[in-house]
Amino acid sequence: MDIDAFTDLALRIIAGEADVDDRRAFEAEMAADPARREEFAGLQMTHRLLGVALPMTEAARATGPELPAYRINELRTAVRQHFGPAASRAGKSRSPFLVLRWIFAGGAAAVIGAIMVMILFSDSTVEIGLYRTDLMRGNNAALTPESVPAAKIVAFDADAPFDQWQTRPLAWYQRAKIWVDNEHDLLHIIRREQNGQITVLTQPLAESDEAQRQQIEQAVNGL
Amino acid sequence: MNTDREFLEALRRGDDAAWEEAFRLLYPAAFAAARHPLAALTPAEAEDIAIEALTLLLPKIREIADFDELRPLVITIASRKAISEKRRQLAEKRGGGDVSSLEAMRENESLRFEPAEQIMSRLNAGDLRELRHLLDKALAGLEPRNASLLRDFLLNQLPYKELAQKYQMPAGSIGVNLSRSLGKIRIHLTANQKLWKELNAFLR
Repeated sequence: MDIDAFTDLALRIIAGEADVDDRRAFEAEMAADPARREEFAGLQMTHRLLGVALPMTEAARATGPELPAYRINELRTAVRQHFGPAASRAGKSRSPFLVLRWIFAGGAAAVIGAIMVMILFSDSTVEIGLYRTDLMRGNNAALTPESVPAAKIVAFDADAPFDQWQTRPLAWYQRAKIWVDNEHDLLHIIRREQNGQITVLTQPLAESDEAQRQQIEQAVNGL
Repeated sequence: MNTDREFLEALRRGDDAAWEEAFRLLYPAAFAAARHPLAALTPAEAEDIAIEALTLLLPKIREIADFDELRPLVITIASRKAISEKRRQLAEKRGGGDVSSLEAMRENESLRFEPAEQIMSRLNAGDLRELRHLLDKALAGLEPRNASLLRDFLLNQLPYKELAQKYQMPAGSIGVNLSRSLGKIRIHLTANQKLWKELNAFLR
C-alpha cells in the first residue's frame, strides 16, 4: 500500500467513514509496518488539533449574528452588578476643577442654597420600581403603598422607561431604589450609605408572590 | 470613544455605553465559538453560552492591556463553555438512562471532549493568535479548493459523500485530498515546535 492509499485509509478511520473491510485492511497494514503507526499518530494529531483549533481561529473572523436586542438588559445588569451603580462610576471621572471654576465664577451663593435644600430633603426617598401589572394582582400578594409606607412605589407600563429608571443614578434626594428582576429571579437594592457611598445589593428573589412582598417590605424597613 | 485607550479606560470604569459597544463587537466571535462543531449546540444554546462568556469578561478587564485581547479571551471561554455544556447534556442523558441508541453511546465517550477541553483551557490569547497566524499561513498555502474542502470537512463536518457531491469529485479522491492537505498543514504547525509540543501533549 503506497503512502497516499494508507493516509486515505487512515483518515477514513479517523473520520468514522471506514467500513469493515477498511478496518481490516488498516489493522493489517499497521501490523505489517511499524512506521505506519507513526504516520497514523501524526495524522490523527493534526486532525484533532485542527478540529479543536480551527473553529476557534475562524470564530475570530465572525461578523454575525448581531447581539440580540432582548439580551442587552441581561448584560447591562451584569455590568451594574460587577461595577456598582452608574452614579459612583460617573463620579470618578468628574474633574474637581470644573466645580471650583463654577464656584469662583459667582455661583457660591447658589451652591450654598442648594446644599441647604439637599440637607433638608436629601437621603429621604426610597423608590420601589414595579410593572403596573404587578400592582393589579387579584390576590392579596400585591404590594401597596400602605404595606410600604416608608417608600414610594413607581409603576411602569413598558420595559424601556423601567430600564431607564433602573440604570439612572440615584438622585440626590434618593436614599435607595429597589426593583424585582423577574428574568433572573433577583431583587436589586441600590442604596446610599451614611458615608455617601453607593452600594448595590442583589438577593435571590423569594419564590411566592406573598414571600416576595414580605421580602420587599423587609428590604425597605432595613434601609 | 476617541481612542482605544479611552475605550479601555471606560470599560475599566464600568461605563455602560462602552460595555454595550464591547458586547456588540464581541458577540459574533463569542457566538461562533459557542457553535464549536465538537459541541454541536443548537443556535439557542449557543446564544446562552455566548452571553455567559461575555459576562465573564467583566472581571478580566483589569488584566488586559488592549481591547483586542478580549476577542481571543471570549473565544476560549465560549468554546470551553460550549464543550462543558455538551458534556453536561450527555451526562444528563446518561442519568436519564437514555443510552439506547448507538449514536448516544458513541457521543457519551468523554474521551472525545477531554483533549479539546484541555487545549481550550491551555490556550491563552497569545497562543490563539499564534495558532491563527500559523493556520492562516498553512491554509493560504493550499489550493483554494482544497482549503475549502478541508474547512467543510473540519468545520462543517460534512461526510465524504456530501463533500464528493459538493466538490464534484470522485468519493475515492476526497480522502487523498484531505490527507495531503492535513500533511501540509502539519508541516506549518510543527514550525512552532514549542506550541506544537505543548498542544500534542494534551492530544495524546
